[in-house]
Amino acid sequence: MAGANSNMQLTNLDFDSIKSNFITYLQGQNTFQDYNFEGSGLNVLLDVLAYNTQYNAYYLNQVANEMFLDSAVQRSSVVSQAKVLGYTPKSAIAPTATVNVVFTGVTTGSLTLPAYQSFGSAAINGVNYTFTNPDSYTVNTVNNTATFQNVVIKQGVPATYSFTVDSSTNPKYLFEIPDNAIDTTTLQVSVQQSSSNSFTVIYNPASNFLQLTNTSQVYFLQEALNGNYQIYFGDGVLGQKLSDGNILRVNYLSTEGTSGAGANSFVLLNTVSGYPPSAVISVTSATQGGDKESIDSIKFQAPKSYAAQNRAVTKSDYISMIQENKLGISFDAVNVWGGEENSPPVYGQVFICLKPTGSYTLTATQKTRLLSEVISPISVLTVKPSIVDPDYTYIALTVDVLYDPTKTTQTASQIQAGITNAIQKFGTSTLNTFNSSFNAYDLLNTIQSYDASIVTSDFNLQLQKKFFPNLSSTQTYNLYYHTPLKKGVLLSGISNSPDIQYLDPVNKANTITGVFIEEVPSATYGVDTISVINPGYSYQLPPKVTITGDGTGAEAHAVIVGGAITAVNVTSSGNNYTSAIATITPQTGDTTGQGGAVVVNLQGRFGALRTYYYNANQVKTILNSNVGTVDYINGVITLNNFNPVGIDNPLGELAITATPTTSIISSTFNGIITIDPYDPNAITVNVTAKTNS
Amino acid sequence: MAINQHIYSDLDLTFLPSPATGDVSMKYDEQAVIRSIRNLLNTNLYDRLFQPDIGSTLNRLLFEPVTPLTATLIQNEVTRTITNYEPRARINTLVVSANPDGNAFNVALTVFIGNQTSPTAINILLQRTR
Repeated sequence: MAGANSNMQLTNLDFDSIKSNFITYLQGQNTFQDYNFEGSGLNVLLDVLAYNTQYNAYYLNQVANEMFLDSAVQRSSVVSQAKVLGYTPKSAIAPTATVNVVFTGVTTGSLTLPAYQSFGSAAINGVNYTFTNPDSYTVNTVNNTATFQNVVIKQGVPATYSFTVDSSTNPKYLFEIPDNAIDTTTLQVSVQQSSSNSFTVIYNPASNFLQLTNTSQVYFLQEALNGNYQIYFGDGVLGQKLSDGNILRVNYLSTEGTSGAGANSFVLLNTVSGYPPSAVISVTSATQGGDKESIDSIKFQAPKSYAAQNRAVTKSDYISMIQENKLGISFDAVNVWGGEENSPPVYGQVFICLKPTGSYTLTATQKTRLLSEVISPISVLTVKPSIVDPDYTYIALTVDVLYDPTKTTQTASQIQAGITNAIQKFGTSTLNTFNSSFNAYDLLNTIQSYDASIVTSDFNLQLQKKFFPNLSSTQTYNLYYHTPLKKGVLLSGISNSPDIQYLDPVNKANTITGVFIEEVPSATYGVDTISVINPGYSYQLPPKVTITGDGTGAEAHAVIVGGAITAVNVTSSGNNYTSAIATITPQTGDTTGQGGAVVVNLQGRFGALRTYYYNANQVKTILNSNVGTVDYINGVITLNNFNPVGIDNPLGELAITATPTTSIISSTFNGIITIDPYDPNAITVNVTAKTNS
Repeated sequence: MAINQHIYSDLDLTFLPSPATGDVSMKYDEQAVIRSIRNLLNTNLYDRLFQPDIGSTLNRLLFEPVTPLTATLIQNEVTRTITNYEPRARINTLVVSANPDGNAFNVALTVFIGNQTSPTAINILLQRTR
């Protein structure tokens, strides 16, 4: 058998390789020589041995895979690895809606809406979901009417389990909640002393292990092997220990996660103090729900949570902490940046921008809770965190498609609907988050690859800002498009939708409806201002400013203080400039001055906005010749002293549309570019059939 | 060494101890090949792990009517099995006869083993045991 070891092939995993490996090994001896004949007894034994070896190798390979977070496949293995990193996988999160509930004919002075009433939603994809209010509300009745404002309801069914603590049957005091649909953010744990002593203590989730003592009334949560959650308690050193006879009660919502999101019409299914509800008015639709965390998400989040070490120091620490969804709000996207990156810089602050799942912004209460309960306790002392709302820039697309009807079975309207759908999917997958870019090539690729019959396609891009103007007071609104805007485009210049209503300036009792905004680009393109970008030094005399461009007549002179240029005053703005530069040269006799540099701002950079309407005779009438300005270069529209009295839209939302000079649009900081899924006019697809004659 | 005089050496799958040494008994040369042929004929297709082709269908054929036709099928099957999987044996004669009274088949086989000049006779009675 000499030399057999030198032929050891330890990397073989499949049956044939292992068996041939054995045969090679047996060639080194001459006691048994029939190893190579299929009918021999030795060959049968080799089969058994090879099979056993393969079996073990496969098993060991699987075991080794499951031992590492990166390669584990089974949920229980991933969860167990995450546990080592101190990470508890997130449960499903109930979508939340707010409603107003009205009761009429109430004869008592006040009415209480107890917690956990059942609300039924209108069907979503054919399923009606149950919602419930986790809190109770009490209001005073006015004119026999009780109106509960902004009642928070969550999708789910309240569930309760109770366990009697008994060390003989459950020596580890480990209590499993047999419900896969639990929303652990709604979990309430209480411990009653015993069946004869009803003294009950509320236990809170353990968060900071450094602060736990032997009397801390806390519980720990973990995911069990079967995917259910388990509750366990302290050992008498870290957290208070339970004792036999204690009765443990858990209450929570059993939710269907994101399936119930989007519900916006509800009915109250039961009476309250004998009064049937007269109306349930939806205030906000059900949003911010989440599904049970996936294996991939656990693999992604657990190491980051560990790296953050329950401290918010770096950008990713904040993101990781916020995404643990401790308040039961789930987020589509989180962006964090330091105030020093702002323009102008705000030192000592961290800005956090959050896009909740299924909605646009957080409520003020949610922001306050998030700051005080989640972020502030773990952030660095001198750094002040603040939450800013996302700044949405909506993309409105007009797509023109030429297709060959001989190459498809689809009708024009099917292609139209299909492309609209494909663009929406493109928007959801590539936009709709922070630091994203609109990629024209990808868009055309999406359209082009929708169907083989599409010959060619083109698109026209417009940007929209949407806001809710304050109708009761005069305010100034700045709309940042973050990209240069096109000047005075015929029929697609700056416009608003829907139309707005103003008070008639002549007769305040009248309201003028059908008012629109339009832009008036500057007619003369002279030099507006000259900005100093480098003041230079050692100027003895104010240097000469020479303006060179395609127009004529512009003149300016420099002002120096202490040898440096502090300002350049334009004495004559000139005419017909579309581009210009200015150079600084020292005056004759000034031998030391140097380094000054300036840039020219042309008047055409700005435009004015005015409002107009069509009067009774269908004559276009200017209502206000100056309602705001447009900064074409920086892409900012300012509405000065904007005071409409009505917006022709049930929500009161006004959209201002502008055309960018480029189709390369990207978002930074709190900017989100999105294609509004709720706006039917966001995507317009024009389909033309190619004629082959 | 005496062992080296044998061309073929194999384990006996009965695993009975050798009366002389008390060790597992072995089969040598002619006996090893005959045992190998027996093993192959007794193995059903798909019995061997990952090697579904090894073996014969004799087991199945024994449940067919005991007729000359079945005897021919068995003859073909024995020929196929030995030709494919026992390179050490070259078939000299093979006669399979049906024995309806005994509900069995007689297989009279003579083979040349290795470089032998005289054939070795193997007589097998194939009979259903259940």
